[in-house]
Amino acid sequence: MAALNLSKMDKHEIIAKVIEHGGKGITKCIQCNACASVCPVAKAGFPLYGRLLFRKLQTGHFEEIIEDPSSWACQACNRCTEICPRDAKPFEIVFAFRRIQAGELAISTSAFTPLMNLHATGHAVYSEASKELRQKVGLPPAPVTSVENAKAQEEIRTLLDNSPMSELGIF
Amino acid sequence: MAKVGVYVCHCGSNIGGVVDVEAVRKHAENLPDVVVSRQNLFMCSDPGQAMIRQDINDGIIDKVVVAACTPRTHEPIFRKVLEGEGLNKYLFEMANIRDQDSWVHANDKEGATLKAKQIVDSAVAKARNLRPLEDKYVDVTQAALVIGGGVAGIFSALELANMGNKVYLVEKEPSIGGVMAQLDKTFPTNDCSACILTPVMVDAGTHPNIELLTYSEIEAVEGYIGNFDVKIRKKQAYVDWEKCTGCGACADACPVRTPNDYNAGLDNRGAAYVHFPQAVPKKAVVDITSCINCGGRKIGSETRMSKKTGKPILAPCERACPAGAIDRTRAVDPYGDIIDVKVGAIVVATGFKVMDKEIFKNLASDSPNVLTALQLERLISATGPTGGQFLRPSDMKKPHTISFLSCIGSRDERHHTYCSRVCCMYMIKQAKLLKEKYPDLEIYMHFMDVRTPGKDFDEYYTGALDMGINIIRGRVGGIDKLPGDKLRVMAFDADLATNIEIDSDLVVMATAIELQDDIKPFAQKLSLTLDGSGFFKELHPKLKPVETAVEGIFLAGCCQGPKDIPDTVAQAKGAAAAAAVPLAQGRVKINPTISEIDSEKCSGCGICEPLCPYGAIAMITTDPSHPRARIEMTQCKGCGVCTTACPSSAIGLHGYTEDQIMAQIFALTA
Repeated sequence: MAALNLSKMDKHEIIAKVIEHGGKGITKCIQCNACASVCPVAKAGFPLYGRLLFRKLQTGHFEEIIEDPSSWACQACNRCTEICPRDAKPFEIVFAFRRIQAGELAISTSAFTPLMNLHATGHAVYSEASKELRQKVGLPPAPVTSVENAKAQEEIRTLLDNSPMSELGIF
Repeated sequence: MAKVGVYVCHCGSNIGGVVDVEAVRKHAENLPDVVVSRQNLFMCSDPGQAMIRQDINDGIIDKVVVAACTPRTHEPIFRKVLEGEGLNKYLFEMANIRDQDSWVHANDKEGATLKAKQIVDSAVAKARNLRPLEDKYVDVTQAALVIGGGVAGIFSALELANMGNKVYLVEKEPSIGGVMAQLDKTFPTNDCSACILTPVMVDAGTHPNIELLTYSEIEAVEGYIGNFDVKIRKKQAYVDWEKCTGCGACADACPVRTPNDYNAGLDNRGAAYVHFPQAVPKKAVVDITSCINCGGRKIGSETRMSKKTGKPILAPCERACPAGAIDRTRAVDPYGDIIDVKVGAIVVATGFKVMDKEIFKNLASDSPNVLTALQLERLISATGPTGGQFLRPSDMKKPHTISFLSCIGSRDERHHTYCSRVCCMYMIKQAKLLKEKYPDLEIYMHFMDVRTPGKDFDEYYTGALDMGINIIRGRVGGIDKLPGDKLRVMAFDADLATNIEIDSDLVVMATAIELQDDIKPFAQKLSLTLDGSGFFKELHPKLKPVETAVEGIFLAGCCQGPKDIPDTVAQAKGAAAAAAVPLAQGRVKINPTISEIDSEKCSGCGICEPLCPYGAIAMITTDPSHPRARIEMTQCKGCGVCTTACPSSAIGLHGYTEDQIMAQIFALTA
């Protein structure tokens, strides 16, 4: 494999793009990987997370990583942000990258079902099976959310249909 | 008959965890002349010392044996106890049952206890034969010598001078200032190096207590703490410094071009030159090794008259000098002048040099665009070869891409295993200064790891990240020269886990800090030793960081190990404080445990004289038929070599006399 010629990479362009999409902390990363030590994406076995993702972005990688599904496995738990010693807000960088990926229609298939669920029920993750469990612990079968509320569902659909997400053609 | 008290220490679990202390104490009770035997968890604690004090006070004992740790650290404590109770402090013997017993035999408790008993036997046998000794004192010369006029030497000299001591500040270059005078800015505050250094240089140059001896080197150092005799060679400047105003007209007139050390070899200077614009003292010198004797004006040659003009034929430097300070007719000694000074203490502050880039051939060191960091420092300095304009040497064009390479010659088994400590920080400084001035510069910095141990240092580094300076983890292995004066840096990005290449216009290498090539003969002149890394060795790495094995000689600055300016100044002031102690006391104590010759027994054979490692023995020949050896007490260190060599048994070593040592041997072999 030929060595990567760093001086020929579009570092500034990619870094600017990440910042523009909300990943302001991208230049702050010192590659300590504390974020990865607690990251569910890493624990689930995805390849591109934490410092490696940030390093790839810092060094101007784009084509090589745009289709990678790892970022879609982010659970938005935000632990990385709480642990980052540089206050680089890794979670925001991951989401910035996701937005860039979405803009390139590089959405992981694993993200389609939750998105369709969101459009249909207002929940990205909702399981019918939870009804029984809820009743067991003395809760009403359905949560007091959009799940049983047609009006709320309609409002959410309106929002989504009028957002850039409608252009993805999945609803 | 002696009345010996024995005190056995547990040293917490250090001794008590291995040796049966009570058994040793009980054993000691039955030794001859032992009148009391006690034990304590820590003999060095107040209650431990109080036991000895009480027994002396009660008149029970007149000799003391403490079986504990090492006399190196604890003998002074117990001697003080004896002294405090009016007993001669040399009537004390220490039995080391820790370092030489419990620590080495931790797995053999019985054996260790037996050995502790034997060590105590031996100590008691010696103690019975101890005789009082008296400390001796010699007067101190109220002056100090500081060798090296860099920032360390300047601050040591100023501290000592401000305390009221006469100081001789010796510097081999024509001006004081050292490497700091070559720097552009200093981390982490980016203050201008010259701006903060020049005022202290002037202070040193004008201080009434400081005698500046620049363009001078140490020829010889004799003597001992309090009374060193130093020979200093004032090198021949071939310029009358009484008249020289430092205007530099001679330098402008001189046709010679020779590499300019002040600009780290980036440009040339004349054979006649002024060290640098802010030089203190600002005096010109003629570097005779590169002088070409224009117009046949050899030093000391007669002035010839021009047939054309009828005027004398002069060299350009002579003609240019408006002060008449250069007269090549005058025959002067090329060796210079020897100045003899007497001082009580010496501070060695001889600084360092950075490794030359040449040996790093894999890094294209033959390219003019591969610089050492010190060269870059000169390149961006307003007093540098380009007047501060950032232009690369090969084509005098502004570089667009720069690579910084750390650990060149440092942390490398093939060169120096140590970390040079300041490179990470000064390279970040250089990168930040350049990026601030030229934001479109692409800067790549290659580090194994970034080391920023210091106040405000890490913030300084992370600030570089925020400025968009590229930090890459991994060392650079090679550089290829590409057409168009590009340099392809071949490196590894450990975070990407991939080989990388960078096409740079300029490469800066942080070459290691090391001592000058001629440091060994210099060290020998002062009887100083170098450590494994090649720096001057301090007496103790933690507790005696400015002292050396030679009493009265102290260390300051990078000659003791790589350090930055704040640490250098702190150490310089520390060394000055330590050096001021004997000067303030006015006299120094001579340890009485030294050798003495019995002139009645001495046959004058002279065997001892060449054996003495300290040159303390001289043959006295006032009566040529009966020469006698004599020991200079201020130089004797009590090693005992002469004592064992003397065929007439004429030499005794106080504190280790023959009867004392024989008693110890008998006790151990009984």
